[in-house]
Amino acid sequence: MTDREPPAPAVRTRGLAKSYGRETALDGVDLAVAEGGVYLLAGTNGAGKSTLLRCLLNVERPDRGAAFALGFDTRLNGAEVRARTGYVAETGEGTYRWMRAGRFLALHSGFYPAWDEEYASHLVRLLEVRLDSRLGALSKGQARRVQIVAALAHRPPLLLLDELTDGLDPLAREEVLALLAEHLADTGATTILSTHLVGEVETLIDHVGVLRSGRLVAQAPAERLLGRLRRYHVDAAESWTAPPALEARVLRRETGLGRSLRLVAAGDEAETAAAIADSGARLLEASRLSLSESVLILLQSERHHDFA
Amino acid sequence: MRLLIDTRASKPIYVQVMDEVRRLVAVGELKAHDMLPSVRQLAAELRLNHNTIVQAYRELERDGAVYARRGQGTFVAEPSGTGAERERLLGEVVERALTDAHRHGIAPLALIEALGKAANTHGGKND
Repeated sequence: MTDREPPAPAVRTRGLAKSYGRETALDGVDLAVAEGGVYLLAGTNGAGKSTLLRCLLNVERPDRGAAFALGFDTRLNGAEVRARTGYVAETGEGTYRWMRAGRFLALHSGFYPAWDEEYASHLVRLLEVRLDSRLGALSKGQARRVQIVAALAHRPPLLLLDELTDGLDPLAREEVLALLAEHLADTGATTILSTHLVGEVETLIDHVGVLRSGRLVAQAPAERLLGRLRRYHVDAAESWTAPPALEARVLRRETGLGRSLRLVAAGDEAETAAAIADSGARLLEASRLSLSESVLILLQSERHHDFA
Repeated sequence: MRLLIDTRASKPIYVQVMDEVRRLVAVGELKAHDMLPSVRQLAAELRLNHNTIVQAYRELERDGAVYARRGQGTFVAEPSGTGAERERLLGEVVERALTDAHRHGIAPLALIEALGKAANTHGGKND
């Protein structure tokens, strides 16, 4: 809409790679997250989402490649990055199991000069955190709430939220997502949300990255992604095959009844429509996909997709 | 004030926010000089990205549908008095009906005829 240069990425990686023995967790990942962006990192279980976030904090050392966050090289300045980041880990804190939640938050606040005690108390009340329970005795959802308070109360410029709502009941999910939307409106923090529940956050995010087996198979602003993917409802003879130029755009084929066929394809809608018409088939309708559906289709696709 | 956002709709969300504000004005739920919810409020309520709302409000302001007062908020502007908004709403309803009819293989004329009949049996219930 505007001709302005997009802001420099607040987070970026170059050729990031990490293996655990024979298991490849990350394979040449070039991530770019714009400052103030809310980036959805989607992927199946074991796609490398958590490893990627941990590499950004330098709590995990990559085998190859480089990662930068908030202007720091994370391998050289991991502590600087961690001090400016609110991190909700996929699995709760394993340490301090004997510590009471209130004591844990007090200890945590000491690490962050920007810790806002009033905001922390507000979050504790809102999320109904039981301050006198020991961390080890908390349910998954309760432990999650403690983590969320710890991540948000210092209003960091970067949020890394790994499966934020995992373990929370449906009501608490709603509350936490509303709280996050409000927090982001207040702080404008650059945020990476890793999740496989895309539907839950699709109105909240503005960028999407899809990780598949350690590779980033797609990365784009959400609106561009939605603008470049269409489902084409086509009337074609059963013997019809898509010409190669069209086939190259097709991500999914859904055969219907009789001559009815649905193709999900990437690229310019007018060009695709023309290619369908040229091939002797008739285009009945082209429709937009929801973000959840788009991500699901990209997750199933083998190829890399450039939405530039 | 209740805005309806549909993630499956073919319109970008910021356009949906704009349309919803206009709809609420057209049906009289929002009146001239009423304050719109703050970006923060609306973000929390609808779990929307704040930039989406900022963009919607900015475009509405550019269109003259709302005005912003620094430090206070965004307010509904005086209506232009042309009834253009109701006209636009009607256009949208018509467009939706036609698209739906087309999808079910119903010709526009058949739809008009059926609408006429249905309106008669309604017996002016909805005026």
